[in-house]
Amino acid sequence: MTGPTDPNDPRPPEETGPPDPFPAFGGRPTFSPFPPLEPEPAPLAADPQPEPEPEPEAEPAVVVPLAVAPEPDPPSDWNEKADAHDLIERESRLKAMARFAFPPGPPPDDEGLAARDRRWATRVILVVTVFMAIFNAGSVPNWSRQQAPGWVTDTVRGVSEVWAAQVALLGADLPRQGVREAYEAARDAEWAGPEAAVEVAPAA
Amino acid sequence: MLFPTLAFGVFFLFVYFTSWSLDRENGRRKLFLLLASWFFYAQWDWRFVGLLILSAVLNWGVAALIARKEKPSTRKWLVALGVAINLLILGFFKYYGFFVEEMGQLLARVGWERDLPLLQVILPVGISFFTFQGISYVVDVHRRTTEPAKSLLDVMLLMSFFPHLVAGPIVRASDLLPQFDRTPRLTREMATHGLLLIVWGLFKKTVIASELAVRLVDPVFFDPSAYSALDVAAAVYGYAVQIYCDFSAYSDMAIGIAALLGYSFPRNFDQPYRAHSMQQFWRRWHISLSSWLRDYLYVPLGGGRKGTFSSSLNVMITMLLGGLWHGAAWTFVLWGALHGGAQVVERVGKRAFGERKVIPMWLGVLITFHVVCLGWILFRAETFDLAVAMLEGLSRWGPAVVTTPFLLGLIVVGLGMHWLPSRAAEGLTARLKDAPSITMGLLIGAAFLLVEAVRPEGVAPFIYFQF
Repeated sequence: MTGPTDPNDPRPPEETGPPDPFPAFGGRPTFSPFPPLEPEPAPLAADPQPEPEPEPEAEPAVVVPLAVAPEPDPPSDWNEKADAHDLIERESRLKAMARFAFPPGPPPDDEGLAARDRRWATRVILVVTVFMAIFNAGSVPNWSRQQAPGWVTDTVRGVSEVWAAQVALLGADLPRQGVREAYEAARDAEWAGPEAAVEVAPAA
Repeated sequence: MLFPTLAFGVFFLFVYFTSWSLDRENGRRKLFLLLASWFFYAQWDWRFVGLLILSAVLNWGVAALIARKEKPSTRKWLVALGVAINLLILGFFKYYGFFVEEMGQLLARVGWERDLPLLQVILPVGISFFTFQGISYVVDVHRRTTEPAKSLLDVMLLMSFFPHLVAGPIVRASDLLPQFDRTPRLTREMATHGLLLIVWGLFKKTVIASELAVRLVDPVFFDPSAYSALDVAAAVYGYAVQIYCDFSAYSDMAIGIAALLGYSFPRNFDQPYRAHSMQQFWRRWHISLSSWLRDYLYVPLGGGRKGTFSSSLNVMITMLLGGLWHGAAWTFVLWGALHGGAQVVERVGKRAFGERKVIPMWLGVLITFHVVCLGWILFRAETFDLAVAMLEGLSRWGPAVVTTPFLLGLIVVGLGMHWLPSRAAEGLTARLKDAPSITMGLLIGAAFLLVEAVRPEGVAPFIYFQF
């Protein structure tokens, strides 16, 4: 990535202009990280190749110092820490606004985590209680009928009977009844099947 | 007040919400739990709450004295005093009638017939459990394996805490006292595991154990001569399943209830019918009792340190006393003798054959299960004659009268649950704990509804309440 945010771009900021999210096409010049290529002399195709001469006897090499020192390499823009995954991701505006409106609090400590777990468990217990109060409403009047008569049990029975009748109107007692009927059918099954039981019954 | 009742459900909801609202002050929370436990115990007989308090005060006092003394002989005397007090309480309430009756018969046989003072002593529910807890606390303080409790409140709550009060598991001071020191914490894992154990325990008790008891086991054990071998055999297997589902259900629910209040209890059952030896059976059945008997009876007797004969004798004594702990009757003593004898045979076999496998594993499981079932006949039969009648009934051929496909299915389910993955509840907990609270609540609610829909009306008391 190049542009005003790229620290490796050697151009001054006034030359780079605003960031462009799209790749450049056509005549628009793009900045290249590599130095320009120098033109090489074209080889002469028709040049006759001279005959190789026998090499003269090797003489001891003499190191001649260069009169002019070679130019140093141009500075590289290679960044060892760069990674393709470092591309900037744009945050959605809605999220950014939500983060601004409701800034996240500090991460919870042990006490906070414990309280969160406890709230979760309490919510589970409350859901179970409400679920049972709706779908198993008939068990409360049943229970109150088995207790010794008194003001408390009479009140509980009266209230629970009304409640059970109301939720039964919505069909909330049907799942329990359905399971109960299937269970009783399985419980009362005999080895020889129901026909045999019917046949045996009059004889007995 | 039984766990699988509406009254207990309302009581528990009140305790749950109130105790967690008091979590800023641990002392107040413990005091509330203690009062709730006494209220729970008073539902059986309020007079025995006094016995519970007395027992806790005595154990706390003796342990505090032991902790202050450095002289070994004084500490020994004090621990002996503490154990004697506990045994005296247990002996009076549990064995007085049995002892006087047997003594009267013995005196009559030798011609010294006397009118011994017979008393109608009511057995306080759960006395064996809280007495054993008291003994373990005093002995642990003497052995310096447990620090003495920081307050009387802690000892009282240790012995009276309602989830384990009436039928165990026997939770030792070293397990519970450190938990009382700090305000407990309820994690998602604990809550999920606790709720799953409560539902599972409810299913085992109210569906499997209750149906088997009412429709099969009780009628056959009442009059074995009226039934054929098929019914008698089904009743014996049925009782094996019933007692497992009954007792392990109580333990599961106790562990689950304690977990929801933020406390951790040890596991009490570990699929006992898949044991391939009697020794292994006792490592899987009523683990808190068997480890108690090992640590406070078998090891002090000498354990297995002095050779096979000595260790066999110690096992025999331990199992006989373990049998007597279950009840003041000769059938329980015979039950203990059977278990002790079987373990002695195993020890002798191990000495003769070493670590070599003489019988395959599956045969070991089969033999162990049937020895256990033989013991259950003695355990369940009210008299020795009825136990003999049950054994005779196993050879009386005829059609099955009370054994239906449904009851047979319950027996298969009860035995089949021993071959589930050994930590199935923990595995399920790990999968469910991250669910949203509404999903979790609906799942647990549906499971409760399923159990409620199929359970029979009313609930019989748990078998182990009588012990």
